[in-house]
Amino acid sequence: MSEAKTSVLANVTAIEAAAPKAPAVAGRKRRGKGAGGTVIMVLGLLILFGGWALAVKYLEIPSYILPSPVAVWHALWSGIAVSPSSPLGYYLPLWGTLKNAAIGLAIGSGLGLVLGSLMAESRVIEKLLMPYAFALQSLPKVAIAPLVVIWFGFGDGSKVAISALLAFFPMLINSFTGLRAVEPERIDLMRSLSASRFETYRIVKLPNAAPYIFAGLDMAVVYALLGTIVAEFLGAQQGMGVVITQAQAVTDVAGVFAALVILGAMGILLHGIVRGLEARIVHWGDRGRK
Amino acid sequence: MAAFAQAQPIDPAAAALGDLIRIRGLEKTYADGSVHALSNINLDIRDGEFVCVVGPSGCGKSTLLRILAGLDDYDTGTAALDGKAITGPSRDVGVVFQAANLLPWLTVRENVALPLRVGGKQVGQAEDVDRLLDVAGLKDFGHRFPYELSGGMQQRAGICRALVRSPRVLLMDEPFGALDALTRERMNLELQRIWQASRKTVMLITHSISEAIFLADRVVVMSARPGRVIRELEVPIPRPRSNDGIISHPAYPALAKEIRGLLNAQGDE
Ligand SMILES: Nc1ncnc2c1ncn2[C@@H]1O[C@H](COP(=O)(O)OP(=O)(O)O)[C@@H](O)[C@H]1O
Ligand SMILES: [Mg+2]
Repeated sequence: MSEAKTSVLANVTAIEAAAPKAPAVAGRKRRGKGAGGTVIMVLGLLILFGGWALAVKYLEIPSYILPSPVAVWHALWSGIAVSPSSPLGYYLPLWGTLKNAAIGLAIGSGLGLVLGSLMAESRVIEKLLMPYAFALQSLPKVAIAPLVVIWFGFGDGSKVAISALLAFFPMLINSFTGLRAVEPERIDLMRSLSASRFETYRIVKLPNAAPYIFAGLDMAVVYALLGTIVAEFLGAQQGMGVVITQAQAVTDVAGVFAALVILGAMGILLHGIVRGLEARIVHWGDRGRK
Repeated sequence: MAAFAQAQPIDPAAAALGDLIRIRGLEKTYADGSVHALSNINLDIRDGEFVCVVGPSGCGKSTLLRILAGLDDYDTGTAALDGKAITGPSRDVGVVFQAANLLPWLTVRENVALPLRVGGKQVGQAEDVDRLLDVAGLKDFGHRFPYELSGGMQQRAGICRALVRSPRVLLMDEPFGALDALTRERMNLELQRIWQASRKTVMLITHSISEAIFLADRVVVMSARPGRVIRELEVPIPRPRSNDGIISHPAYPALAKEIRGLLNAQGDE
């Protein structure tokens, strides 16, 4: 039960952090920090990479522990500056990983939204499913990955399945929480109009839950990517997880770092896409609320 | 009169005689506790009448309105609309909520038109949305979102929404409570104008004695919890009333004094 509370609380915090609310104020604040902020950021990066390069050089850290930034850059460039169809580049494995993660995300978050909606709408379904949901949520789901590989094999199926499994929970919990968080006056309004249950869901509850759902999607995107990578570690023909394990097999640590840089960039990009989508869809922000 | 009516069973023909709403011996205790909200409420509202309900806060005014709106149930007694017992929300009733209660993701026009696209097939006539917006002075704001409107404009949109199905009864729960005094006076004028044009039956709950006298044909004063009707006062001031004219009317001071006296005796703030 305390599990339930913390996770809901954590979600609410995540929502507040993720939602681009009160743009005027936030925008002004960000701009205030802007000029100085960029300088500080560039300075910080210079110190980080400079320190890294100097440490590797003068502390004589072997390259199989920590490669120099230049070595990582070379590895990165050799993966980027090739034809998109080259088996040596990042493009094919990245495409494979993103494709499986995207399918898993669609299935997992779709199911999460549907089940979360059913649980929010029906106390019976809530009572029936909530215990399993929390039991499964407190289980480190990555630990199920080997089992999923037995069931779905080493092909795309296991990647999609693990991604879907990981993407499912943030969507389930967030859509459930968001759909339940609707103001009672809005429900009264729909009741006074004799609106059907589905009309109330579609016109009031779903838009009301949109900020929660986007916060869930934001987490689900990262989890789906994580799920695919983990599944690829366990065995795959291609994918960024394979790029990492192959580099690791020949102690090409610079190669591992370079792949991680690519995955980090993907994470930031996907996060940006979700935020952009939210800003477009949840355009009314918090200003319409009391 | 009240005591006499109390002893009578509901007369189905009463509606034809002009009472659109009949409340007899209404009792309400909230199930989750021992909150006795309403006690033996007896109240008739004539077709086309404007009734304002005042009473100490927490005395059950909202509860009474919610029962009439079909949003809450009651324990014993009867509440009938047009001779039929109220069992749930009705198309004949439009509700104006305390805060305008517009949906922030819909435009003003979509909010006002909302009652026309939910709750099954539209029976009876519907108002023209654009005409309503025009009457409420919102013609140029239909495509805006609620947060772009002032509080007064939002509440006018809320009133338009309550009117769009052309209900016979308008129930309003402290609709202007959140507005500043000046906006509130202007809203009262507008509401009077809209009401005179439409002749709806209105029950409006308010905290403001001046608002009650300005708007009402009859002011109903309720007691502290459990709420009972302790006095009904006709307002003999001709319409259209103006904000300046009303306070200089000879009947005004005595009415205000009496209502204030009744409320003070109830220990209202
Ligand atoms: N859903 C509810 N459950 C329990 N008690 C309630 C509920 N709604 C209102 N009450 C109580 O009933 C009394 C009357 O409430 P209300 O009708 O809102 O009063 P008013 O509108 O006159 O201020 C109050 O004491 C309030 O606390
Ligand atoms: Mg109230």
